[in-house]
Amino acid sequence: MLKFNDISLRNKLILMQVFTSVVVFGIVFGVFIITDVNSYKQRKVDSMISLAQVLGTNSISPIQFQDPEAARKMLEELQTVAPEIIHAEITNKEGQLFASYSKTDADTFSMPRTSHGKSYSFTNDQLFVSNPIISSNEEIGKVYLEVQLTELQQIKQYKYELAFILLLVALVFSLLIAISVQGYLSTRLLKLVNAVRKIRKTGEITKAVEDKGKDEIATLIQAFNKMMEELQENQKKKDEFIGIASHELKTPLTSIKGYVEMLDMLEKENPKKQFVQKALANISKLERLVKDLLDVSKIQSGQLQLEMKEFNIDELLDETVNASQMVSETHRIERQGGPVNEMIYGDRQRIEQVLLNLLSNAIKYSPGEKTVILDTQKTENELIIKIIDYGIGVAPEERTNIFERFYRSKTLAVHISGFGLGLYICRDIINRHNGKIWVESTGKGSVFNFSLPLKHFSSIQQTEV
Amino acid sequence: MNKILVVDDDVDILSLVETILSMNNFDVEAISRWEDIYTKMDQFKPNLVLLDVMLGGADGRDICKNLHLDTKTKNIPVVLFSANPEMGKYIKDCMAQDFVAKPFDISSLLKTVKAHLN
Repeated sequence: MLKFNDISLRNKLILMQVFTSVVVFGIVFGVFIITDVNSYKQRKVDSMISLAQVLGTNSISPIQFQDPEAARKMLEELQTVAPEIIHAEITNKEGQLFASYSKTDADTFSMPRTSHGKSYSFTNDQLFVSNPIISSNEEIGKVYLEVQLTELQQIKQYKYELAFILLLVALVFSLLIAISVQGYLSTRLLKLVNAVRKIRKTGEITKAVEDKGKDEIATLIQAFNKMMEELQENQKKKDEFIGIASHELKTPLTSIKGYVEMLDMLEKENPKKQFVQKALANISKLERLVKDLLDVSKIQSGQLQLEMKEFNIDELLDETVNASQMVSETHRIERQGGPVNEMIYGDRQRIEQVLLNLLSNAIKYSPGEKTVILDTQKTENELIIKIIDYGIGVAPEERTNIFERFYRSKTLAVHISGFGLGLYICRDIINRHNGKIWVESTGKGSVFNFSLPLKHFSSIQQTEV
Repeated sequence: MNKILVVDDDVDILSLVETILSMNNFDVEAISRWEDIYTKMDQFKPNLVLLDVMLGGADGRDICKNLHLDTKTKNIPVVLFSANPEMGKYIKDCMAQDFVAKPFDISSLLKTVKAHLN
């Protein structure tokens, strides 16, 4: 069976409009027919009562003179005067039959007797009328008439047929109007539907759907266009990232492959070339890139878990400064500010990851400079760790963007390798420790700060998702 | 001895290619700053240029075009190399002689270089 929901929008609109107009016209015609029939009946009653009055007046003397024959003759004239009357009776004061008339082909009399005054009643196709005969303010008898309403049946029949034809005409017209009006509404919606279909089919995000209206359909189309714009923007970002990712992953791979190949050929002849060390250095680079990618996907799926415990921050700071110094041949990394003498509650390994990331950024973005400083500053509630370099700095408009995922500086003229994921991961780790991370830059170099709470251990959630 | 100028912003790859070519008896000059390429063309006068496409702040294809617009350098063959294999499609547009995709085999790199040095 066809469900209403399965019918196309276009047909639904047509159906609704046709249904509404047919119902409205049906009600209007119904009211007209009922009023017409009622006024016809009222007129009939009025004329029959006045006829009964005339008959009553004329039968006063036959009743008074006990001449039923005269009354009967008078009634027989009804055959020509009012042929729709099929029975007529006159009763005397006691209610006994005085004179009667029956149309030849009519059935036997079946009139209800009424007690007082004038009255009338309808059956399906008959009208009964009774009227008292008054002489000298005294009721001396009654006139009863039974009227066959053949004319009413004909009028009803005619009205029904007319109403039916008019309804058919209304149906055709409303159908025509509905078809032309729905075109306006459904064309706009169909435009949207076609755009969605095309995107699903080709995967290609097309141009915006054009619409000049201001109604709900226009709002829907605008929302759709906005969504498509955002989708396009995201698609672009993703494409850019894939481009960067494949370049960044292949670059160390190229070195590794080349050095290992050369090692294979020349190992015995030339042991001092350090090919293995170079290959290993590039393997670590690749490892870091892959680790960053995994961390980001963990952050996004909410699976990055912290292992929180108390640890000595001074030990960690010294360790990371030394580790960074080991890999940097170009920069001297200095710790300033003296020992903190505090225990920190947090994930030691993740904090170390943040420190190493910020230190390696400081080295990477200060080519030609010699010093990177790690400074600490203690307030009542928190410890602020600063990583200071004297390199290229961060443009003011980029200071919030650099913590976004896949963000890479648009203003740098030099190529700095990486995915643009490091700071995004750092921010996530620090936020999960209830700390903050921010950058200050005065043109010559930049200061990356992050804070860690010192005392309110209990407020830190153990494993945030 | 044939002279080859290598341009790549990744110092590891630069030193790798320099080592490979030197060991195969080429006279190699390797630079990581693309801005230096025009002066190097003048001073070093290479017989072939091995040019990376995705250079920080510049596109190797544009540099290749510039080299071919200059009468002094237009006859020097340029071989592009890139981690993006799609770049191979553009060698005709920028008038490069050949393309090598990263990561490359040493043998195919040498074969390509030698092919354009005759």
